Amino acid sequence: MILPIASLLIGFVLGWLTDFQIPAAYESYLFITVLAALDTLFGGIRSYLQRVYDDKMFLSGFLFNLLLAYLLTFLGIHLGIDLYLAAAFAFGVRLFQNVAAIRRLLLTKWTQSKNEFERENE
Amino acid sequence: MLEEKRKRSTPIRRGLLPIFLLVVGFLLAFSYKTFQSNDQELLLTTWTEDRYRDQLLEEREETYELYEQLNERLTKVKALERQFDEADERALVLKLNQLRLLAGDVEAIGEGVTVVLKDAQYDPVKQNPNDYIVHESHVLKMVNELKIAGAEGIAVNGQRLHARSSIKCTGPVITIDGQTYPAPFVVEAIGPAETLMQALELTGGVVDQLSSDQIVVDVQREKELTLPSLRSIEAGEA
Repeated sequence: MILPIASLLIGFVLGWLTDFQIPAAYESYLFITVLAALDTLFGGIRSYLQRVYDDKMFLSGFLFNLLLAYLLTFLGIHLGIDLYLAAAFAFGVRLFQNVAAIRRLLLTKWTQSKNEFERENE
Repeated sequence: MLEEKRKRSTPIRRGLLPIFLLVVGFLLAFSYKTFQSNDQELLLTTWTEDRYRDQLLEEREETYELYEQLNERLTKVKALERQFDEADERALVLKLNQLRLLAGDVEAIGEGVTVVLKDAQYDPVKQNPNDYIVHESHVLKMVNELKIAGAEGIAVNGQRLHARSSIKCTGPVITIDGQTYPAPFVVEAIGPAETLMQALELTGGVVDQLSSDQIVVDVQREKELTLPSLRSIEAGEA
């Protein structure tokens, strides 16, 4: 448990200390990357709770989603339409779905353990 | 078989999650910094705008105060004049009032002429719109002619002209003493109406010249004209 949190913090510090400016035209890419990363993270937590987690699925899902999102953003920039919003929308909806699933899973787990506890006490 | 597979994939392998979280942390901090710096730029521009607006408001307040001072002084001057009037310096006061009329300091009422300068109707044959609109030079010509003919007070579109007035061309409109006016231009002049009319309507005179420049000139004799004072306009502007 310590290692993931530590690595999150290290990543945060690294990102904070990076003195690197990206051009304004590529900001939508950064935006979409952050969303994809968050989506993948919550998707991973969900699959872990559902006991179907798989490293290959996790990584390939992240990379392919990112690729598709970049493609849409690229197309959007060149067509003059904010197509990256489509990707943002998809990621956002999935984020909410994943968080809801995680909440449901944790709740059922909690009530189950409580029931077992009560049954043992009877 | 299924059970086994599940068991195998349950624990997160040590390697991937920390690396992924590292990436997530980096992205979050980095994008936070990137978008925040943009916000700061935006903040800076709005801040500058706010400052300029405040400056403008301050200046306006100052102008207003100065106008109040001016009005105060003017009332004092009026009181002094009344004293002079009572002290049998009537000739002096009369001359002062006359000079004021000429300088445009006070409203002027009297007979005169009104000249309206209008753009010509759109003519599809003429390619260049410059050929049929009223230019500042036309207004200037008209004003100068009226002055020469003895006009004592002139106003263009309700803006009283004084000795150092400027009439400038600013694209499709003209600027008179810093105020912009569009066509049609109404030139009002107080003076000997008969002379003014005759001066304008000389053969080859200013009306003829302007008419040959496709301008619609409409001269009218007025029994009683009222020209605004210079100051009322300035006060209104403030």
